[in-house]
Amino acid sequence: MIQTKIWSREETLDREQMRAIQLERLQKTVARVYENVPHYRKKFKDNGVEPGDIKTLEDLQKLPFTVKADFRDNYPFGLFSSPKKDLVRFHASSGTTGKPTVVGYTRKDMETWRELIARIVTMAGVTDEDVAQISFGFGLFTGAFGLQHGLEHVGAGVIPMSSGNTKKQIMIMQDFGTTALISTPSYALHMAEIAREMGIDPKNDLNLKWGLFGGEGSTEAMRKALNDEWGIFSTENYGMSELMGPGVAGECTALRGMHISEDHFIPEIINPDTGEVLGPGETGELVITTITKEALPIVRYRTKDITSLHYEKCDCGRTTVRMSKIQGRSDDMLILGGVNVFPSQIEEVLINTEGIGPHYQIKVFKKGHLDKIEIDVELVDANYLDSFKMLEELNRKVKANLRTVLGIDSIVNLVEPRSLQRFEGKAKRVIDMREEK
Amino acid sequence: MAIRQLSVFIPNKPGKLAELTKLFFDEGFDIRAISVYDTADFGILRTVVSNPDKALATLAENGVVAKMSDVLAVNPEDRRGSLNEVFTILANEGISIEYVYSFVVEKGQDQYFVLQVGDIEKAEKALESHSVEVIRDI
Repeated sequence: MIQTKIWSREETLDREQMRAIQLERLQKTVARVYENVPHYRKKFKDNGVEPGDIKTLEDLQKLPFTVKADFRDNYPFGLFSSPKKDLVRFHASSGTTGKPTVVGYTRKDMETWRELIARIVTMAGVTDEDVAQISFGFGLFTGAFGLQHGLEHVGAGVIPMSSGNTKKQIMIMQDFGTTALISTPSYALHMAEIAREMGIDPKNDLNLKWGLFGGEGSTEAMRKALNDEWGIFSTENYGMSELMGPGVAGECTALRGMHISEDHFIPEIINPDTGEVLGPGETGELVITTITKEALPIVRYRTKDITSLHYEKCDCGRTTVRMSKIQGRSDDMLILGGVNVFPSQIEEVLINTEGIGPHYQIKVFKKGHLDKIEIDVELVDANYLDSFKMLEELNRKVKANLRTVLGIDSIVNLVEPRSLQRFEGKAKRVIDMREEK
Repeated sequence: MAIRQLSVFIPNKPGKLAELTKLFFDEGFDIRAISVYDTADFGILRTVVSNPDKALATLAENGVVAKMSDVLAVNPEDRRGSLNEVFTILANEGISIEYVYSFVVEKGQDQYFVLQVGDIEKAEKALESHSVEVIRDI
């Protein structure tokens, strides 16, 4: 394991110290939103709870959830706890439909953000020796600015490259001696392709050492591809604008999940269907309460991201809880005969199975009272055509791998290459025929 | 040199075979021999065409998964028991046979047999030493 510095003392507190800090900050946050935000005051009252009821960390469970729709209903500043005069920065999420989600920061929030990003870039290997190229789009999106503040805070040299203009990205990377790349994993893979087209070998002709990827989920297969292509050590990090932007959690070089800065965020895992709080190690929807934000504290935000929490001390020396790689979105989750299945799990299996392509189409239907899942995958390796035995063996292998990961049987159809639909934007790979009434 | 055949992946859907033969027709490849085996979910088409190298490239360009492989082709004499002799010779040599299909080169003329066997070279030698005609070019 690569040894890195630990940026803050708070990352190594023992559990009791951490819980004490969390309780004190939670109580302050709950009082702050109750006092300043009509939405919270009303919701707390509807649930028969008031700030004085929060006596232990477990009392957090008495509070109602906040959901994405609450931002929309209170657009633009209705959820803010600070007067507009105290705000020094606004950001907004892209918002694919309708109004964007607006977030704001006080001067203290900006300091907190900078500090939390400094933690994640440090645990990912970046130091003041590094030149960091930020290939996220600068603008209303939180990603680029958040990373910029934190990287400068640790003393790295920041190139605020923004996204797009890929050939110029590669040229600057080469000429400035970029050592750390900050982007989405898919854009990093695309950049490597373009570099090759330009006759530049990303691994040998460039100086990259670190890849800090975020903004979208990725798989272990993608990590390996990125490491191999660029000759880097890559980590991923997690955040969302509703909570602050990037900096909520980040992976250390032990690669045992993403450390959540628990002195600023309290994570919970819930059953997405019932709202019931689940225990450590159990998989469910991540819910986060911010406990140090001034402008926009959020109580029990349902992230829709599916993960699990692990409290054992990490090899890197940090004691903060680790969240596992995001397995999917709770709104993508399929329930098949009581078993939760995520398209991302299926994708991971297919990417790691030789002979077939990464594209797939899932059909879910009922046969009698039983849920069935049928997955079309493309055969890409002609060597399997030597005999039926080999083709059937491949089919069996895909099924067995899926069974290992999903815990259920699936029907697998091998189809011709390029016969499945390709998606440029958000992929629609699941057809659930059970919904037809 | 042995005969080369193409194995093509065909999903079990109506019209798939016609799509493929149309492609061969449009590109000017002659189908000398063809055989399709299927299971419930997919089929493998085996074919001997003129200019297999170019045919393979054309298939790849059109997104068709195909593999070229050597096969044994023989022209047994047109008399009772000749095919039995072919198989007996191979059996005596311990050569396994994976599949067999046959085709006629010209109407009313010889009938060729295509065999996928464990060791093509050994099979060719054994058959020729027993005066069975081995086809090396079609």
